Amino acid sequence: MDLLQEIDWQLVAPLLVIQLILMIVALVDWIKADDFNGPKWLWFFIIIFLSIPGPVIYFIFGRRR
Amino acid sequence: MQWMTLFKKEIIENWRNKKWIWVPLIFILLAIIDPISNYYMPQIIDSIGGMPEGAVFEIPELSSAEVILMTLGQLSSLGVLVIILMSMGAIAGERKSGVIELILVKPVSYQHYITAKWAALLSLVWTALILGLTACWYYTVTLFGELPVISLLQIIFFYGLWITLVVTIVIFYNSFVKTPGLVAFLSIATIMAMSLLTQVFGRFLEWSPNNLSGHIFESLMIDQLTGDLIATAFVTMGLIISFLIGAIILFRRKSLAE
Repeated sequence: MDLLQEIDWQLVAPLLVIQLILMIVALVDWIKADDFNGPKWLWFFIIIFLSIPGPVIYFIFGRRR
Repeated sequence: MQWMTLFKKEIIENWRNKKWIWVPLIFILLAIIDPISNYYMPQIIDSIGGMPEGAVFEIPELSSAEVILMTLGQLSSLGVLVIILMSMGAIAGERKSGVIELILVKPVSYQHYITAKWAALLSLVWTALILGLTACWYYTVTLFGELPVISLLQIIFFYGLWITLVVTIVIFYNSFVKTPGLVAFLSIATIMAMSLLTQVFGRFLEWSPNNLSGHIFESLMIDQLTGDLIATAFVTMGLIISFLIGAIILFRRKSLAE
């Protein structure tokens, strides 16, 4: 638990915020769309559980355009 | 202006598919990971079990220039991969979906079409790069020590040339290859081949674009622009122009043949 106390959260916060924004933007896109490569629910899990690469993989491969 | 119309269409499209949001965010993320993780390296080592009893391992004090070099390495691997994957369908995708026929049925000049695509991608990638490197610079200055603003501008300019070359290579393959996946594969293969050649014939290819990061690092260390860096920049610009002209020629030939 030392690690959690030693970390200066002001330094690390931007990382978490950016990750959160990416996830939210991906989810908003996911809710509205209906032209997916593969099943829709699968992309939900990719966005949620693969924290950083998830939204990126979704943005690159998720939609059929 | 026809060119502006095409350019604006690209910008709007990249806005609609949210590239203008996620690409800059990913670049910021990639650019600040190295300064932060290196700053916390002692704690990270402790938390995963620490050093074995009696092991003596001095964690070297990193200079700002070294942290910047690590970040450039990060951008040259994952950043370049993101650029290639997000732009692999720039033209190939339009060919596949048939949109390209709707555009080229109008009297659109081939070089306007290609250069508008190229410029739109570059404005997106440069925005991402400027934001990312500035964030990296901010963290580096805060955690590791001085680095003047002028150095940041030099890093952005010279490293931007490398990224511009990557974008131009992707556009080049887009101009005559139909499958986005193949465009990505050929682009990655080209960059890997360039890097291999640079390593094998290092002595003769001192000015290879793949050495840009290294020359930027040297310039940061001695605090002035080296001749090698400037020469490499000119070689890179030459390659960018050749690939772009090649793209226009091949695109025209390909489209006329169809």
